[in-house]
Amino acid sequence: MDFDIKHIRKQLADTPLVSPYPHDLSVAIICDTFRLANLRPPSRQDWTVLEQRDRGAGLWKEQVMMLAHLLTATELRATTAATLRPNMDATTLLQRFFTEVEPLTAEMIRSNVFRLEEFLRKWVHAVEGRVKDEAPQQSAARLKQLDYRTALQEMQRADEARKQEVERRKQELQEAALRATEARGWRE
Amino acid sequence: MDARVAPRANIRRDTASQRPHVPWAESIAAGLSRLAAVPREDEARALLDARLEWLRGALLASPYYVRRLQQVGLHPGDLQSLQDLRHFPTLERTGLALHWGEVSALPSEDEGCVVVRSSGSTGEPVRVVRDRRDCLHMWAVLRFWLERAEVALPPRPRVVLLDALPGGLEYSVRLPILQDGALHRVSVLRGDARERLRRVSPTVVFSDPEGLRWWAEQDGLPVPGLVLSSAQHLSEALRERLARVLPVPVLNYYATTETGPLAWECFRSTGHFHVLAPDVWLEPDQDEVVVTRLRPSVLPLLRYRPADAGTVRRDACACGFQGWTLEGFGGRGACGFTTPTGRSVDAWALAWVFKHHALRAFRLTQLAPTHFELELVDATEPGPLRERLTGALRNLGWSDAPRLDVRAVSGDSLVTGTKPLPFRTRIPREGNHT
Ligand SMILES: [Zn+2]
Repeated sequence: MDFDIKHIRKQLADTPLVSPYPHDLSVAIICDTFRLANLRPPSRQDWTVLEQRDRGAGLWKEQVMMLAHLLTATELRATTAATLRPNMDATTLLQRFFTEVEPLTAEMIRSNVFRLEEFLRKWVHAVEGRVKDEAPQQSAARLKQLDYRTALQEMQRADEARKQEVERRKQELQEAALRATEARGWRE
Repeated sequence: MDARVAPRANIRRDTASQRPHVPWAESIAAGLSRLAAVPREDEARALLDARLEWLRGALLASPYYVRRLQQVGLHPGDLQSLQDLRHFPTLERTGLALHWGEVSALPSEDEGCVVVRSSGSTGEPVRVVRDRRDCLHMWAVLRFWLERAEVALPPRPRVVLLDALPGGLEYSVRLPILQDGALHRVSVLRGDARERLRRVSPTVVFSDPEGLRWWAEQDGLPVPGLVLSSAQHLSEALRERLARVLPVPVLNYYATTETGPLAWECFRSTGHFHVLAPDVWLEPDQDEVVVTRLRPSVLPLLRYRPADAGTVRRDACACGFQGWTLEGFGGRGACGFTTPTGRSVDAWALAWVFKHHALRAFRLTQLAPTHFELELVDATEPGPLRERLTGALRNLGWSDAPRLDVRAVSGDSLVTGTKPLPFRTRIPREGNHT
């Protein structure tokens, strides 16, 4: 069964997140999804490891909550359960997923169509599913367009390049001024 | 100079470096023509979507946009089609005034970039960074307009910039960008204006309602191929009077300092401004103008709001134009002042006097034929302003200085809605905002 991103977004719009889920409930919802597919969910210890891996932005818990909300409010859970294969390891899969969505906040996923799409598509990618009516190359290309993690790096690089260029020009001007001063010195 | 306070043809005087940009100007005109002939909206949109690749790169090069997009969890790559625009933040004039240096990309060193000043709604001047092509863009668009008006350019065409601004500045420069032509600035205040116009015999005349009113009163002036007026209110009466003495198309265009030319009023249906896509995109179905620049420039503009009212719709016009058209345009609330002799003059002809004031920081109201009230947000030094205003009124027909009351007001009291209405009259007359 393929993931119908459009339909999931529509379902989500019909069931907005009213109040945040307690963390334990979110964890239980995600575990249930793996059980539905007859996979062993991450153990309590696995969850601790997942949590400890998140040292950066501190967004892990809200991402867990958003994933749980998406699984509950939409057909994402059923499609995920139908897609997961018996040889998959739930903890590895989640690790990969949370690394991919690392800079996404719950607010972005809730209020920003692009970040929601990215979050969903990264989930589809993590469970090795397919997006409805799309060739895998198309899905990969769209994921690349949306990827906020890469975009942040790109924006940072652009910013640094600009700062360097400003610095270079400043220095060039200073050197030119110095040369002008020296040239005057020679003539005197 | 602010296009909205003192709309002028945007013409830069240095001409030596124009020639290399001729192929570019031709391609701009060809691009405008091509898009105006695409009947299918999806096809036209696809052509515009392709332009977003430049914009994505430009946003990345703009520290302001990089920061702004990050604040809301967006990045340039999210902008893949015009449909995506609605999810992006808009930029208001005040925002541009505050962040002008950072909105612009770092000007490349051989680009010949300039900074144009205009007054801003905060009272602080807005600075607009322009590259060489931004400065020449009007000439490229003019080629397209000439084509629409079916005016063939002779070799070495003469262009006249005709105005009624006090000071009477005049000059003549070469114009390599337009078929090795020449540009003559002519002031109607000079005694020899008629003589100069006869001698120059221009193919193209850029002017404004005051300049055109003067022209309409003259006899025996040469007939140009095309007359352009920047989108100040062009009254029906003036249009009719002009049509009698000048049997040529009058093209009324809409431009701002920040964006350059945006749209032009159809020759056939008054009030319909055809959008200059693919150079700019004006978002359809809004009740105000929202501009995204799609033409490469040092200054990327994403959903810029010049605070002009109007609604854009897809349109197949009777004139043959296919594209998007701006209707209900109300950037410049029309207002006519009545001279002591009963003649109506376009109040916007006084706009230059206030060029250091934001449109929302002053309001000039005509109370009686020889009585005006000037409300000012900052009225600490009204002396020089009073003098300039009296002088300008004299040129317009108040040979004896009218009574002028200056009143200090708070900024809030001048806000009358989305569009600034800095000129008002209490003398009833058709077509005036009172
Ligand atoms: Zn038309």
